[in-house]
Amino acid sequence: MLSLRDLLNRMLQIIPTLIMIMAAVFIIVRLLPGDPASAILGDRGSAEDVARINTQLGLDQPIPVQFLYFVDRVLHGDLGTSITLGVPVAQLILERLPVTLLLTAMAALLAVVAAIPLAFLAAIRRGRGVDLTIGAFFQVGLSMPVFYTGIVFLTIFGAGLRWFPIGGYGDGLGEHLYHLFLPALTLAFSLSAVLMRNLRASIIDVLNADYVDFARSKGLAPRLVLLRHVLRNALVSTVTLFGLSVGTLVGGAVITETVFAVPGVGRLMIESIYGRDYPVVQGLAMTLAVVVSLVFLLVDIVQAMLDPRVSR
Amino acid sequence: MKRIIKASILAALFASASSTAMAVERGGILHYGRYADSIFLDPVFADSNVDIWILTNLYDTLLLPTDDGKGVRPGLASAWQLSPDSKTVTLTLRDGLFFSDGSPITAEDVKWSLDRARKPGNGLWGPDVESIDTITIADPKTIVLALKHPDPAILASLTVYNTAVVPEKILEALPGANDEEKAKVFSRHPVVSGPFMLDSWSRGTVMKLVANPHYWQKGSDGKPLPYLDGIDFEIIPDDATRILKLQAGELDGAELIPFPRVAELQADPKLDLKLFPSTRTSYITVSVRPQLSVGSPNPLSNDKVRQALNFAVDKDALVQIVTHGIGTPTSSFLSSATALHVGKGAVFPFDLAKAKTLLTEAGYPNGFATSIFVLAGSQDENTIAAALQQMWAAIGVKLDIQQVDNATRVAHYNKGDFSMRVGFWTDDTPDPSEAASYMAYYPHIQSLHTGWKNDEVDRLFTQSQSEIDPVARAAEYAQIQKIYNATAPLIFLYETPYAVALRKPVKGFNQIPLGINIFVGVSLEK
Repeated sequence: MLSLRDLLNRMLQIIPTLIMIMAAVFIIVRLLPGDPASAILGDRGSAEDVARINTQLGLDQPIPVQFLYFVDRVLHGDLGTSITLGVPVAQLILERLPVTLLLTAMAALLAVVAAIPLAFLAAIRRGRGVDLTIGAFFQVGLSMPVFYTGIVFLTIFGAGLRWFPIGGYGDGLGEHLYHLFLPALTLAFSLSAVLMRNLRASIIDVLNADYVDFARSKGLAPRLVLLRHVLRNALVSTVTLFGLSVGTLVGGAVITETVFAVPGVGRLMIESIYGRDYPVVQGLAMTLAVVVSLVFLLVDIVQAMLDPRVSR
Repeated sequence: MKRIIKASILAALFASASSTAMAVERGGILHYGRYADSIFLDPVFADSNVDIWILTNLYDTLLLPTDDGKGVRPGLASAWQLSPDSKTVTLTLRDGLFFSDGSPITAEDVKWSLDRARKPGNGLWGPDVESIDTITIADPKTIVLALKHPDPAILASLTVYNTAVVPEKILEALPGANDEEKAKVFSRHPVVSGPFMLDSWSRGTVMKLVANPHYWQKGSDGKPLPYLDGIDFEIIPDDATRILKLQAGELDGAELIPFPRVAELQADPKLDLKLFPSTRTSYITVSVRPQLSVGSPNPLSNDKVRQALNFAVDKDALVQIVTHGIGTPTSSFLSSATALHVGKGAVFPFDLAKAKTLLTEAGYPNGFATSIFVLAGSQDENTIAAALQQMWAAIGVKLDIQQVDNATRVAHYNKGDFSMRVGFWTDDTPDPSEAASYMAYYPHIQSLHTGWKNDEVDRLFTQSQSEIDPVARAAEYAQIQKIYNATAPLIFLYETPYAVALRKPVKGFNQIPLGINIFVGVSLEK
């Protein structure tokens, strides 16, 4: 278990990460060719229109000056206003982030629920028909592109069987969960494949370990051996992988969000990058950095619970 | 005789019953799938097609474009009159006009809205009404526009969304240092003059409109329009998902149906696939500057080279490959749905021998290497570029395809730092001056950033902008098109309709050639 001091230390480590991300995103987004005025005006803008809008947005100032203004605003709790939408960035993030977090959480939950029992089954019956069937099923999950899986699920479970709505987000928590089930399943399909393969390999390793033989030989019930000795030890590396994958899911749900018309931050991020909406890109990058850092912190805590050596 | 009377009565009853059955249905919510959400719901400061194409459902203009997108018809103004010298426009407001909050639409609101639209720095569309010198309220129903010079496009400009009428008192009372800041506040809960009003807006998900109970237009049943109780614009960016949702009955209509799916949806008995005539043309913009940005000579600056490239494009094949046979080769830089368009058949019919001869005459018998920007991820643009790469290889021209995102492309484009790019155009006003000013008239944006400059075209365009004789103006436009098309600052490709799929119960929807979606006459049959 992590001590309170360790926990605080880990949390403090997030601060320099955030500062680096803030600076890096601020500079990189401005190094991209094009500017917000060009993105807003499109082909019909004249050079004068572009210059006028860039001046209005303060983009004619040197980058270090712009950065200082940005830091000053962030320290005062102001992430700025979207150039394209004219809406405060904080408001946009508050609208969109919960959607992606809910989607990611559902996907993670579905992936874990599917991966753990199936990995056990495959490991215990390794080399047999069940193992090969599970392996083949997840091979499909790994190899199918997410947008394709999404359309297949929509066609079968949405348009065909009418079990789920075709895209959208609905009103109220119940409808949100109902609308997000298929996109979450789509994300979970590939995530659970990764987790299942990793966990299966770990379980096989652990099953061959001496301490498992010892536990068996001292007469422990097989179920207890599996839960206390095998699962706990096998999970350590899978939890790390899970943490990394969830981090990627949060930032990379864009394809799923587009296919399923889910108004999350993935779609907003891509639209903002295309639109060179600097304040939104910066605000989102920082928010996602915080979320991913917190997920990693959570992974550290869980790992320390599973294996006390981690916290030493 | 008795029999005849009986039969007449029966026939009358039958006719009445069938006319009741034919009567338009009222009520219901139309669920319409859009590929992208709106951005800004203020008529003066909006500029994207995602706004322009639906804004006139919220805001009414003094005049409205005709269904063919070439003329004007009455809107909030029931009548208009041009003075003999074409320097004065007198507009008569209808009786019984109200904003969605029930307050009357006054001549003061009209004057204030037009002044806001033409104020320098207020949006990009102000120049469309720059010919207005003064606006006078002659009486509560009469507004007089005094023009700086005769303007043949002024009536067309009064149909454009930026001249829509908004409530002066409400906007003036809003917080904000300038019109744009006030517009940002206003557009979140706008008080409108159009058939629908904003009920709620969950950005990126759904925009809900409800019927404006104070709207002036009457339906075929004599009651106020619109027929619908409301519209839910659902944002479904993915084409396949949007179509699936329509087929499953979760949507009543869906826009931007990709051409490869048109035949399949046409065959669906539950759907009504519409191909609305449009002003949309697709082309390749070419930089005609003598030197490329790297300092080397630009082969594309030679008229004969561009003509050769045009001749070497097999338009019919391209139409098949990209639009699945739905498009037609472009016959002028103005679309065939644009007023004063002149042309028949492809501007440069496919002729490989002629292309080779022209290239040899231009000093490139073995061709040359050039490049094209295409939008990364755009299937159509990539297909066009790949097809051109193959077609031009036949005359020795090597085309390097460069995939970039839109902001990058626009930045290069606006600086003139490019060789070619895929582009498309749609008119927004029912007058050819918009397309001509952007595409052919150099002083505006260097002829669509190509750098093409023709003094005669510039002179003719300037003349046409105050030409009040319609015959003379048509002749000027014919000449502009003749010069432009012959020297080819573009690679002419094709024009395509707007593909919209509706479920069978949806009646009365229209998307006019200017792209505007008109929902005021839509009804849902039960």
